[in-house]
Amino acid sequence: MKSGSNLEKVLESGHFAVTAEVGPPKGASAKVVQRKGELLKTYCDAMNVTDNQTAIVRMSSCSGCILLREIGIDPVMQIVVRDRNRIAIQSDILGAVALGIRNILCLSGDHQRFGNHPTTKGVYDIDSIQLVQTLKKMRDEKKFICGEDISGEVPLYIGAVETPFADPIEYRVKRLAKKVKAGADFIQTQAVFDVAKFIKWMEIVRDEGLDKQVHILAGVIPIKSVGMARYMKDNVSGISVPDEIVTRMEEAKVAKDEGVKIALEIIEQLKEMNSIHGIHIMAVAWEDIVPVIVERAGLLPRPVL
Amino acid sequence: MVKVAEPGVQEEVHSIEKPHETPPDWEPNILAFACHYCAFAAADLAGVMRLSYPSNVKIIRLPCTGKLDYIHILHAFERGVDGIFAAG
Amino acid sequence: MIVGEQKPFEEIWEMIKSFRKVLVFGCNTCVAICHAGGGKEAEILASLIRMKAIQEGIGMEVKHAAIERHCEPEFFDPMMEDIKTNDVVLSTACGVGVNFLAERIGDIPVFPGINTQFFGAVPKAGIFVELCAGCGNCILHLTGGICPIARCAKSLMNGPCGGTNKGKCEISQDVDCGWYLIVERMKKLGALEKLYEIQPLRNWSTATYGGPRRVVLEHIKDIEGQ
Repeated sequence: MKSGSNLEKVLESGHFAVTAEVGPPKGASAKVVQRKGELLKTYCDAMNVTDNQTAIVRMSSCSGCILLREIGIDPVMQIVVRDRNRIAIQSDILGAVALGIRNILCLSGDHQRFGNHPTTKGVYDIDSIQLVQTLKKMRDEKKFICGEDISGEVPLYIGAVETPFADPIEYRVKRLAKKVKAGADFIQTQAVFDVAKFIKWMEIVRDEGLDKQVHILAGVIPIKSVGMARYMKDNVSGISVPDEIVTRMEEAKVAKDEGVKIALEIIEQLKEMNSIHGIHIMAVAWEDIVPVIVERAGLLPRPVL
Repeated sequence: MVKVAEPGVQEEVHSIEKPHETPPDWEPNILAFACHYCAFAAADLAGVMRLSYPSNVKIIRLPCTGKLDYIHILHAFERGVDGIFAAG
Repeated sequence: MIVGEQKPFEEIWEMIKSFRKVLVFGCNTCVAICHAGGGKEAEILASLIRMKAIQEGIGMEVKHAAIERHCEPEFFDPMMEDIKTNDVVLSTACGVGVNFLAERIGDIPVFPGINTQFFGAVPKAGIFVELCAGCGNCILHLTGGICPIARCAKSLMNGPCGGTNKGKCEISQDVDCGWYLIVERMKKLGALEKLYEIQPLRNWSTATYGGPRRVVLEHIKDIEGQ
């Protein structure tokens, strides 16, 4: 075991993992995080806490993770390289590990221009791949980036993300290979809607032998409304929403029910893919649907290891 | 060595214009920049034909209106001209 | 070259309105090319200031001048006495020029008339684009001559982030994704595999993060000294 985290145990023992996502509040209320945690606790193996997603200031990812850990959930701390330099990142990781956080997910982060402080200075001292490398060095060599020793162990389970359908497509798998080479233990992908396209992409991943070196969790976003389907189709880079899904949402009597049905169908197909080792459900502002989906997808009970 | 340019027109400017109410009989002071080969020739012809134009229009002949620089226009405004007419 | 943009006139006016003898001082090199602060722009700005002063009822003497370069003393030292006859210098040179003049002019204030932006190229008349960030540690040989520091909004070193959308950057559909360009270029060069290597963490100390930078050529410095 690299970190002994629940997520690691689930993945390494060959179970089909389920992770969910919590967006921390724009405030200092612990209850918001706890409520979401309690809601999803028995329905997933680990929960991601986003790091100021879309560059909007929220409670820190680390604090959210600690709150989840206190109620018995294995947290995945997301770190974006937008807001911290290598000094702050390494320091935060030491602190997170000291507080019992084991899973870290490395991301570039949305550009600050999107957020509520668009005039701020982005840091981008290191990139997400270098962050993966840094975590590996801290864990395996017990060294900081500069080469100095870290006192004691830094048990970490290192995650990275992948957007399979973003440009330039032909380079994406190579970039994933870089993340694996850098030391990623698991990958959470951007949401999959076009399963056929995803299967093709996974074939290339398999050809590169990457599925044997890293656990890939496919992203799932339950669609709540027609508007959301259209928005993601047109505006979210790296997400490919087939016309068929938009049409189904348009024609549905109850859009939410159709959204759940679509998510379940996607999960069903993902489960059949041997090279996919789990799903990551990102129910943006619709957390209470996660238990329904996990249950109806036949992914209960979650393994206790 | 480059010398600091003299503004030259300064005193005149100060006497000419400050923000003020427009009197009812006011007429704008127009400066026309005309191309030697067309618009100025036309003005010449108008003169030959004894046609008249208002006395508040002054004409400056240019070899070509392509020679009309921003700074000529600004200098005109500084000297109290109210409007520029470029013809070419 | 260095690209700049003239500051909003109101901002300039606020800087200088309490002074009576103003020199608008242009630089005929980079900032003249980008129509921001050459002799011509300085002349126009001086004219606008004179008109504004009249409108405000302020007696202000505004002159203009320009020299070829504000970044080398030889160019403005000979006219320093003339410059010093003013109460304030509104420099439309780049920030280098403003700093350099302020250092040498004594107790007369030097104010910036333009916002100095970046090192740019001119793909078409009237369009200026940033291609180099002057980071002091060039890696263009690894990226097909396209700089990820200057042209990726996140200065990423290991390929495009997930925000690339149809070859454009996530910050704007008007901005090309630098990494998309790099990948396309490397494909053309038949050198895409160079991008499979993980690029190590950057040494940012060669950029401004390491404090003010200077380059000293000892051999030339010695000759000058003699």
